Amino acid sequence: MIINASNLVKSYEDPKDKSKTFNAVDGVSLSISSGEIYGILGPNGAGKTTTLEMLEGLKDIDQGTAFINQIDVSLNPYKVKEIIGVQLQANEFFDNMNLVELLNLFSALYNKKNDPIELLNKVNLADKALAEANELSGGQKQRFSIACALVNEPLVLFLDEPTTGLDPQAKRSLWDLILDLNKSGMTIVITTHNMEEAEYLCHRIAIMDYGKLIAEDSPKNLILKHAPDKVSEVVHGNMEDVFIALTGHGLRD
Amino acid sequence: MFNSPRGYLTKVFIQIFLRNRQYIIFSLLLPVVILGIVGLNDGEVDPVEIGLVDNSNSVLSKNFITKLSDNPLFTIIEGDEEDLKEDLINGDLMMILVIPLDMQASNKTNNIKLLVDKSQIQFIETIKPVLNQTLLSIEREITQEQAMFELTIEDVKSRSQGYLDFLLPGIMAFMLMNLSIAGSGFNVVEFRRRGILKRLFVTPIKPIDFVSAIVVARMIIVLGQLTAIFGFALFILDANIVGSILYLYLVIMLGILMFLTLGFSIGSLAKTQETVGILASIFIYPQLVMSGVFFPLETLPEYIQPVAQVLPLTLVADAMRSIASDGLTLFQVHPDLLGMGIWIIIGTLISTKLFVWKEVAG
Repeated sequence: MIINASNLVKSYEDPKDKSKTFNAVDGVSLSISSGEIYGILGPNGAGKTTTLEMLEGLKDIDQGTAFINQIDVSLNPYKVKEIIGVQLQANEFFDNMNLVELLNLFSALYNKKNDPIELLNKVNLADKALAEANELSGGQKQRFSIACALVNEPLVLFLDEPTTGLDPQAKRSLWDLILDLNKSGMTIVITTHNMEEAEYLCHRIAIMDYGKLIAEDSPKNLILKHAPDKVSEVVHGNMEDVFIALTGHGLRD
Repeated sequence: MFNSPRGYLTKVFIQIFLRNRQYIIFSLLLPVVILGIVGLNDGEVDPVEIGLVDNSNSVLSKNFITKLSDNPLFTIIEGDEEDLKEDLINGDLMMILVIPLDMQASNKTNNIKLLVDKSQIQFIETIKPVLNQTLLSIEREITQEQAMFELTIEDVKSRSQGYLDFLLPGIMAFMLMNLSIAGSGFNVVEFRRRGILKRLFVTPIKPIDFVSAIVVARMIIVLGQLTAIFGFALFILDANIVGSILYLYLVIMLGILMFLTLGFSIGSLAKTQETVGILASIFIYPQLVMSGVFFPLETLPEYIQPVAQVLPLTLVADAMRSIASDGLTLFQVHPDLLGMGIWIIIGTLISTKLFVWKEVAG
């Protein structure tokens, strides 16, 4: 198991009643094995991002423990940060810096040296090498953000809703990228509220609501368990497949 | 030097700041304009324009007008009372003297009427004694009487300096405050709001590395900006510095450090860009009035003076002026340096206590 978290709790002051607290993450336990694509699914506000940020060492763990590659996240957050790659929901970068310079900066923050063009090639952005990050389109920005997360050759890559707001072409291209990275052995933890994405990418899916894990299994087993009748009716693709078939896989941005 | 993560981040911050051309140009514009105005004027007061209505048209009145015109402080414009009144109302004249019809050199006191615009009351109060004095000396000259007293003003510090030399350290101190505050507080809030801080702290960089990188980068940028202004004052405007330039720069660096930490405190207190603007104004403007940079401290009410003495800007401006104009050493300005040290501690405490590094998402 590369990620082991048990009974994670994050509590905040209740905005309606300051004397009370509520648990944004309420006793979540996860075990993720190396090489897995693990999806965390759930509606907005379910606690997906908070769970990730606790695992990433960005937010304090109020209760419970988390280990990544046997390193305790609470005790050694900086050691953990060295072996993980993170793509955040907000993808803002410094102004007045081009992609090559930003990649060099992120490499330097890990005390590493990388060929920025090679990284950009991986995410299909080599032709934008001298553009500023804030000039990129939504899909390009997400791909660049993943390139930044790869500078330290992470063991685990955390992706927080990477395809939200992307057009189908950009989404499919990002899925291909994620599958490629996984093939090279990288463990990937992804949050999403796109069912199709979870089904297409993930080996296992955890469904979160109100800060708790309410189900965890492979997509197939989840469907068999929770929607057994409908699955037999699905003999064809969905509307998005139609759209992709008609409009093609080529990236538009 | 730029190989460690912190060093590289410092280099990147310098790069980013330098690439913001608009900011660099506009930040230099204000002090250059202020210094330019002061430098070209160099403390000389423009003559006051006074309207004069000569109703008497006598030898005595002509003599009086000639004497008054000879005074470099005044420009005399003779004319009709009604016309001049209009000029006064329009603000073209400061005041009008009306010489009575029956002016004569007898024992009788001649009453010269002074027409003024009351909105200029402050200025008139200052000019009245000068005018009185002038009338008195004209009277003495006409009556051939010897004046009993005369006042010569001598500077005990016997400096050979102009108005610009006095203003320069203060303006530099003020600039230093503005540039440092704008460079730290605003940056932090902006980086936090846009999630850039969070992106940085995904990497193994520590908050202290981030803060020291931004402090060093800003320090270098502000030193560059101040040096440009300094150079402008020294070489273009011909300002003089009496004391040691090295001491001056050490004080400047300490001052930048102080305002950067205080700026970080403001940035930690403020959640939005709007709040940081207001907080920065609350921090900057009272100091502008109370620091003695543009207005003498002595003009402030008694009870504010102790507060004014320990304001960050007062301390920097005083230390800079003492070194630049009076040639004092660092040891002689140690109370100021000590005060700045205390502000640095306060600023560091506030910004580290209030800035929740773990929750940089904001």
